[in-house]
Amino acid sequence: MFRGRKGDVDTVAARALEFLEPLYATALRLTRNPADAEDLVQDTFVKALRFSDRFAAGTNLKAWLYTILLNTWRNRRRDAARDTVEVDSPRVEAAAAESDGPAALETPEQILMRADVRGDLQAALDALPEVFREAVWLRDVEEFSYAEIAGMLGIPIGTVMSRISRGRRLLFERLSSAPGRVEAGKRLTR
Amino acid sequence: MDDCQRTASRLTPYVDGALPAAERADLERHFDRCQPCRAAALREKGARRVLREQSRALTDTPLPSGLRTRCEALARQHATASAPRFTLRRFAPLTAVVTAVIGFFLFSLATHQSDTVLAAQLTADHAKCFRFFAHGDSPDDDARRVEQMLDRDYGWDLHVPPSSPAAGIHLIGARRCLYADGRVPHVMYRVNGHDVSLYVLDGVTRPAADLVSFGHRSHIWTAGRRTYVLVWPVGAGDITDATRYVMAEAR
Repeated sequence: MFRGRKGDVDTVAARALEFLEPLYATALRLTRNPADAEDLVQDTFVKALRFSDRFAAGTNLKAWLYTILLNTWRNRRRDAARDTVEVDSPRVEAAAAESDGPAALETPEQILMRADVRGDLQAALDALPEVFREAVWLRDVEEFSYAEIAGMLGIPIGTVMSRISRGRRLLFERLSSAPGRVEAGKRLTR
Repeated sequence: MDDCQRTASRLTPYVDGALPAAERADLERHFDRCQPCRAAALREKGARRVLREQSRALTDTPLPSGLRTRCEALARQHATASAPRFTLRRFAPLTAVVTAVIGFFLFSLATHQSDTVLAAQLTADHAKCFRFFAHGDSPDDDARRVEQMLDRDYGWDLHVPPSSPAAGIHLIGARRCLYADGRVPHVMYRVNGHDVSLYVLDGVTRPAADLVSFGHRSHIWTAGRRTYVLVWPVGAGDITDATRYVMAEAR
């Protein structure tokens, strides 16, 4: 198919093919299951083709594709009738703030020096509640803006920020308790 | 709202460096006084840092085999399904037939089927590609440059017949044919202002053939281990000089 060769018409299809890898990596973190992830990506691609005339040229195609991916995923979860947990309530936030994990944690540098930091990260991400996992992934791995994420997840910007905040902190605590953690006892530096 | 709550609601933009200077200073003053909030900020910064440094590794997952191929096939199917809207207007009555032919041989070029089917597919590709990718005043392209591009981008070892004023033929570019999973080079020419295409089927041998399909002539011949197909509109008239030139040059 058209591989974005210089001079080719930039069709939505051709450009969308270039995002298959990040779409799959995201789907994998969302579904935590390679077969479901593959299915989700293909489904997303089919929809992108079907609605390609709704994409406004010049706008962010990646964000558009991710919106389709997340909508599709949200619909599947709804169909599977999972339990919904009130993760955004202020009470939950306040309770969590009081028990913010172990007092002494590893530094980011120590974590980054681990042999399998990527594996630890994936495990820590997968252990997060879904709404935090997706917020943190979209912000810190895919680098979408708060507004783009709000659009993709269908939630207000304030909620996006609080989920990112909670997700990042939970993630850091989980990472620090993973095997391979260096004995922490040093003063945290700013 | 108390200080800690106000701080918590601005923690993420703070860590992301998205707060204006005054608010930033506000928060840092609070951190000086409040250890739990300072600790929370450090945790957030820590996670953000680790994720960003590892973001490439995290997204570097190989695709499951078959996913890309299937998506490419879906894209081709989509492009083909919408083709009649844009192309072959001059041959409107035959569009339905062409679509049926294309639809039947969706992904596989009829390299070993009848001449008629092969010619039909390549004629459809010829019409569509010139419509989408060539402009009325496309300048001549350099054959060497095109050969290097085909080699670099697709790994094809091909001698592209260069423009020849004597034979009245102008090279305007090359790309991948839509069919055969993108394994077929499509070299595009103009002769007397008419669109002419050369397709190269590697590893295919067929008896020579000449036929007309949807208002276009197709000339099929085999040289060595390759079959070549030249497609041009009937309306171009006699372009024997050009066709002889290509047959002599292509390898």
